Amino acid sequence: MDFYKKWFWPLLLPSILLFGFVILFPFVVGVLNSFLAWRGTYYFDPETGIRATNLFASFVGFDNYANAFADERFIRALVYTVQYTLVAVVVVNFVGLGLALLVTRARRGAGLFRTVFFLPNMLGGLALGFIWQFIFQIVFTDILFSPEGLMHIPFLRYMTQDSTKALFALVILNAWQYGGYMMIIYIAGLNNISRDYYEAASIDGATPLRTFRSITVPMLMPSFTVVFFLTLSNSFKLLDQNIALTDGEFNTRLLAMQILRTVKDTAPPDYGKAQAQAVIFFILVASITLTQVYVTKKRELEL
Amino acid sequence: MRKRIVVLLIVLLTVSLSAFAGAQAEADKGYDLYIYNSKGENAAQFAEMAKAYEAETGVRVRTFSIGSGQDHMETLRAEMNSRNKPSIFSIQGVKELIEWYQGGFVVDFNSITDASFKALANNISPSLRLTNDGKTSFGVPYNVEGYGYIVDRQMIADLFGGASVDAFIADAKAATYAEWEALVKALDAYIKRNVQATVKLNGKAYVLATAKTGLAKNLNGVFAVMGAEKWTYGDHFINVAVNAVFANPNAAANATDADVEQLRGAFLAYAKALDLKTSYLAGLRGAATRGQDFVSSANFGYDQAVQIFADNKAVFFKQGNWAYGNIAGVNAAQAERLEFLPVKMPFESADIKVAGLTVAKLNSSIPVFVPNYYAINSQVPAAEQKLAMDFLVWLNTSATGKKYIVEEFNFIPYNADPATTTLPNSLGNSILDYIKAGTIIAAPYHGAPATWSGDVVGLRLMEQYLTKSNWTAQDYKDIVDYAVQNWQNLN
Repeated sequence: MDFYKKWFWPLLLPSILLFGFVILFPFVVGVLNSFLAWRGTYYFDPETGIRATNLFASFVGFDNYANAFADERFIRALVYTVQYTLVAVVVVNFVGLGLALLVTRARRGAGLFRTVFFLPNMLGGLALGFIWQFIFQIVFTDILFSPEGLMHIPFLRYMTQDSTKALFALVILNAWQYGGYMMIIYIAGLNNISRDYYEAASIDGATPLRTFRSITVPMLMPSFTVVFFLTLSNSFKLLDQNIALTDGEFNTRLLAMQILRTVKDTAPPDYGKAQAQAVIFFILVASITLTQVYVTKKRELEL
Repeated sequence: MRKRIVVLLIVLLTVSLSAFAGAQAEADKGYDLYIYNSKGENAAQFAEMAKAYEAETGVRVRTFSIGSGQDHMETLRAEMNSRNKPSIFSIQGVKELIEWYQGGFVVDFNSITDASFKALANNISPSLRLTNDGKTSFGVPYNVEGYGYIVDRQMIADLFGGASVDAFIADAKAATYAEWEALVKALDAYIKRNVQATVKLNGKAYVLATAKTGLAKNLNGVFAVMGAEKWTYGDHFINVAVNAVFANPNAAANATDADVEQLRGAFLAYAKALDLKTSYLAGLRGAATRGQDFVSSANFGYDQAVQIFADNKAVFFKQGNWAYGNIAGVNAAQAERLEFLPVKMPFESADIKVAGLTVAKLNSSIPVFVPNYYAINSQVPAAEQKLAMDFLVWLNTSATGKKYIVEEFNFIPYNADPATTTLPNSLGNSILDYIKAGTIIAAPYHGAPATWSGDVVGLRLMEQYLTKSNWTAQDYKDIVDYAVQNWQNLN
């Protein structure tokens, strides 16, 4: 104990330095830049029409924020991201919990199933996006669900060519990718629930559904907190899969991609506006996830 | 003992972290001249060229080429923000110039006094200069490129008889849009239903062979088109129509709303020509039609369209001389037999606003333009700028420099004399023929607002029209309205 007391600050210092250099400093600079006519390699002076001689000449107040909200594409991306997140959080949780319940109940080969379900998570977002692009464009469209295919389902064809369909395409992709990861967290939670409760419940004659609702769900609350936080923030921040699957075509830009592409939409590149969008994005994600953590934490049982 | 090691490691880590920030001493940079090249396709040859220059002059050159297809602007901005800025960097046309001009990164060649560089700069043809007002000049062209309908001479020989290929090519260049449209429809009927017909080009008759022979047996459509690549119809195809109103990128960049209104007639012609082109499609597995498959990158992406053309499944393929390597990769023999035909559109005389231009001239010309320029960075020391000038003079005038441009990069030199130059590739030579004949137009779409051509108009076409089987007169009108209004809104 003494050792850690004595070395508290020296032990903490590397992390503080790293956090400061890599996260805090760029964050503060980013917020400052959102109030300037920043163009990436120089600060623009709206008065002279060329590079500003000092930072004050480039100060534009809340103009970048006003421009961001006036941009139809930003608003559309914002709405689309919220829609996507609502669907994705529900589906990914459903899949994760479903897999966890199946795997914990399996009599044989539980380890194998766990590994297989977790595997998609080892692939990067871009690679996954391209793999699923192939699946949606060729396997779904031409082989499985075409009129000559296994079953003719028009909704599952050309999924990357319509903003509603593409939303579900992204959800499918992400349920496949994150389902296994969330499963691991739920498995840990399920294994922590003492068998005694289930035994007592079965003696009392509780139905499986009742057992699930009154024992499993309340006891899993800590896992729900973690999984909801991860799925919420991951869904909001989704970028690679979005780029690889549709590249924002057919009105499928999510917020992260909208911010990234703002500098390509404008010439000279309006980094100030992109930065303002990033700040709005940060406030949105932080407030929503913090609220969620607060709400689900309150429902966790103290044993 | 273990505690001590832990503590020691932490101290080391902290020291190295804090040292990282401050201690990059101002030592020798390891190079004299730093060139940033945004054309990833010739990265290896570019590095070799730099070595050759170093061997001849002793100037240590550092080159940096981005990966092919990678975003060159992000990387270049990072380099511009770093301590060691490039002495020479590349600018892809007027659109990118604004940024470097505002930021004060470019040197106006008019202000340069160095005699040999001055001579080089003055020799750049005024129509090829990188300028924001017509007087300034900020770049030395990498090369010139051009595009049109690529056609295989052997295919023409199999379709119309071997003796008339040269005459056919010459007459097809001069043909009117009505003749072109009749040719496309006759070819389609011939390919799909074996209807033998006589077509007229430039007033002369050409007869389709009675039975399909040779390469013609493989045909399943008239055009190979990249439905999934917005830039082919958004940027390049529409550029032909923009030429009717704006003679160069600067005219387009300085256009008022009223000037943009003038484009309506030309855009209507564009919509009709695009309708024709996408109505007679060849596919990987049999003839294709507009529809959702047509905009899917798995069926009609860049590589797929090259494959369709190189497999002799289509007669015409609208692409540029940069596609030479792609075609040669699939069908090396065919790559040696290629020619360009002009992109034709049903323009009326009233649609043409550029002085001296006629419908006949526009419909027999191909766009030839500079895709990329070398600019000198005004933010590097004067001595380094001088080295940059010497290098650019060497690259474009010395025997070794020219050899790299023509033979290694496979470029068409911007300063080539078409009368005496022969290039080692068929499409390059075809462009030289057009330059020789004076039948070339420019790339004024470069002066349109940043996202207008590809991400706005191209995207709209892809999402709403290339997926639609029949286009009505109302559709033509909507395309025209959309293109004109968005140009005005983005301005």
